[in-house]
Amino acid sequence: MTTRLRGAVASTASVVACASILAACGSSSQNGSAGGNAETKPVAGQKKGGALKVQSAEGFAHLDPGSSYFQLDYEVVYAVHRPLYSFKPEDPANPVPDLAAAAPQVSADDKTVTVKIRSGVRYSPPVDREVTSADVKYAIERGFNPNVANGYAPSYFGAIEGADKAKGGPISGIQTPDDTTIVFKLTKPFAATMAGALTLPLSAPVPKDYIESKKLDEKSPSGYDSDPTKQAFTGPYVIAKYAAGKSLSLARNSNWDPKTDYRPAYLDAVTWTVGADPNVAGRQILTGTHQVNGDTPAAPIVKLGATKRKDQISFTPLGNRYVSLNTKLAPFDDVNVRKAAIAATDRVAMQLTRGGPIAGQIATHFLAPGAPGFEEAGGAKGPGADFLANPRGDMKVAAKYLKLAGHASGKFSGPPITMIGDNADPAAKAAQVTLQNLKNLGFKVKFRSVSHETVHTKYCDVPAQKVQVCADVGWLPDFPDGYAWLYPTFNGAAIQPENNVNWSQFNDPKVNAAMDRAQAETQPAARAKAWGEVDRMITEQAAAIPFLWDNVPNIQSKDVQGVIARWNAAYDLSFTSLK
Amino acid sequence: MARYIARRVAWMVVLLLVVSAVTFLIFYSLPSADPATLRAGRTASPQLVQQIREHLGLDRPIYTQYWLYMKQVVLHFDFGFSYQNSAPVRQQIVDRLPATLSLTAGAVVIWLAVGLPVGILSALRRRRLSDRLAMGASLVAISAPVYWLGLISLYLFASDIGRFPVFPGAGSYRPLTDDPGKWLGSLVLPWLVLAASFAAFYARLLRANLLETMGEDYIRTARAKGLPERQVVLNHGVRAAITPVVTVLGLDIGILLGGAILTERVFNIPGIGRLAYDAIQHSDLPVIQGTVLFGAFFIVFANLVVDVVYAFLDPRVRYA
Repeated sequence: MTTRLRGAVASTASVVACASILAACGSSSQNGSAGGNAETKPVAGQKKGGALKVQSAEGFAHLDPGSSYFQLDYEVVYAVHRPLYSFKPEDPANPVPDLAAAAPQVSADDKTVTVKIRSGVRYSPPVDREVTSADVKYAIERGFNPNVANGYAPSYFGAIEGADKAKGGPISGIQTPDDTTIVFKLTKPFAATMAGALTLPLSAPVPKDYIESKKLDEKSPSGYDSDPTKQAFTGPYVIAKYAAGKSLSLARNSNWDPKTDYRPAYLDAVTWTVGADPNVAGRQILTGTHQVNGDTPAAPIVKLGATKRKDQISFTPLGNRYVSLNTKLAPFDDVNVRKAAIAATDRVAMQLTRGGPIAGQIATHFLAPGAPGFEEAGGAKGPGADFLANPRGDMKVAAKYLKLAGHASGKFSGPPITMIGDNADPAAKAAQVTLQNLKNLGFKVKFRSVSHETVHTKYCDVPAQKVQVCADVGWLPDFPDGYAWLYPTFNGAAIQPENNVNWSQFNDPKVNAAMDRAQAETQPAARAKAWGEVDRMITEQAAAIPFLWDNVPNIQSKDVQGVIARWNAAYDLSFTSLK
Repeated sequence: MARYIARRVAWMVVLLLVVSAVTFLIFYSLPSADPATLRAGRTASPQLVQQIREHLGLDRPIYTQYWLYMKQVVLHFDFGFSYQNSAPVRQQIVDRLPATLSLTAGAVVIWLAVGLPVGILSALRRRRLSDRLAMGASLVAISAPVYWLGLISLYLFASDIGRFPVFPGAGSYRPLTDDPGKWLGSLVLPWLVLAASFAAFYARLLRANLLETMGEDYIRTARAKGLPERQVVLNHGVRAAITPVVTVLGLDIGILLGGAILTERVFNIPGIGRLAYDAIQHSDLPVIQGTVLFGAFFIVFANLVVDVVYAFLDPRVRYA
């Protein structure tokens, strides 16, 4: 089993994920057309009570809502904390008020967001008091504290007035005129985008008085993270026990009032076991009772589930996958060479490296099914470019573009290129297919195979390394919006000297300008259309080789009424119950 | 003897220093992941990554990082915090040590209880059917990878997924202090799996040594003196033949206390080995360093114990 970081999609998942958020995706997963039949939506008459066991190979990285950023962490964090907005499990496209009392009010100039929070939400013991808007203000401010070190705060909340210099202290642009109102004043028109980010756990309230009395944020790492049992919880559950890398237990939050929450919270308790061998744990879940997986099951287990235990497995779309081509460096600074590389790619073989059709749909562009703007970008068929027309690859089209790029023979005749790939399956297999595709086109490739973390932190995320091809990258948006999908990965302004996720280093002024326009749209329909157009432009400029819209498999015991949170493609512990 | 032990302890400290330095060097010289960017997350700005790097001390020269690390270890027995999950390394190691100790202790008892008698009997019944069967079986046990054997044993005998549900399966480990009965039950399969190859190896080793020893002149002399055969074998033969076994035993115990990675992984026993495995997966240097130092300590300490035991086993060995 593997854990997925929000943002970049992990490589080693046996069958991994497409992003978000929509009905088309959902229907396939829910109805089992991808090989699974498990009913994973909320149903009438779900039973209350009992304890669920969750098994995962990976442990939790950060359970502090201020620093939490992994899919695995989110499964727990969203059961014990209440951000301003969150998603009902079956609808990943439309956030609903959680701690907030109503939808966010975005000003006409797109520079102010106002949120009313609901009354009656109380912290768990020992804090016990009612949540106020000041707690939300403090929660976001502490995200800028280096001891908390939230990874996305500067990206999504950096436009708040005073946030550019924030180190954890008060931010002038976050104002709380009364106990139930919070106002965000921005330095630029970014309010519609920032409102989307209020679904992230950073907006879950944190009591400043409690943190300061315990001096939890004064150490690095924060005590709120290293010992999550000390947290002040607002969700239906509390973290009762935690042993890093070993186990975690959830119990009911005695101060949680169901009248203030849309979550049913059927289970009395959850015990989470970390470190399970994926093959053994998968069999235990399928043959045992009261169990679900916490991270992606092993490939043999997925195969077993998809063939013999279809009523216990489901597939949920989440994220995209592609091969990045460095548009800053020759030969991929030539759009025709990029188009040739795409045309030569056998995307069916790429899909097979991850398990075939159950792994997900073959991608024709970057926004995945269900993402706002997917249909506007061409839907499943894509924008209609000839270099993406044949999923098996088309060497004639590839030769045509190479000739246009000055390679008269139709085969690439330039110097060797550098490619980096994962050394663990299934990404390792995808790298081999990419290598072969490039060789078929005449490329001489210097290929280096390293661990997944090394692929990113040492090579592909560091432009100075001058890697020309990253064999298998992917993206999981932080929230369902074209901005979260495409801005970090294809906007020239997002290119960073390290930790760079615009792996193709794509910097097209027209596309950048289109993104600025799309980002400024405040109406959902117009916004989706604008981002769809951006996606179409990126695809037509052959910024990378899209090959998959991922599916995430999940398995459950027969006596579990599992409910998948489709925005996270994992079990929603606040909705899952026992039969 | 006291001077000898003092000298060995001093060498042990030097060796641990060398091991820790080499671990540091390997981590930084091989293309491993950058902990600061892993900690920061995918959309983090370079400024945030730099802040984290500074907070973790990763921006300092490697020798400074090493010096600060060793200072904390020596003065405060503080191994730092995990980059991966923010938990203190010392606490994680201490939490997991009982599981590894339980696994190792039980496996050692089993492999000695099986391996030594089989080795002696095989040597005494050389080339007979029982010898050939025992040595054949030992070859199979040595050849079977622990990971494979673990999975097979679970699929056959685990109470949850086994064909013949007899023993508690993976993930059933309970600390001895919580429930002695469940502790014992949960470790039966892991003990048997871990002990299998060791028992086989010890049986073959002791058999070979004993065969050689029983041909020595002093054995003939002992028999000529009219000593009972049982006394000849146990007091003269086995006592001499077992010294290499003790050497290997010391090393094996040390290595296993550093973590029986595969066994812990298959049976989901939260021990030192699994901690080390997870740390390597995530380039979690403080945890890697902590587990390597613990493993090295146990190996060196076990060696010291073995050398001291030698003096009691073999009258010819004297330490100045």
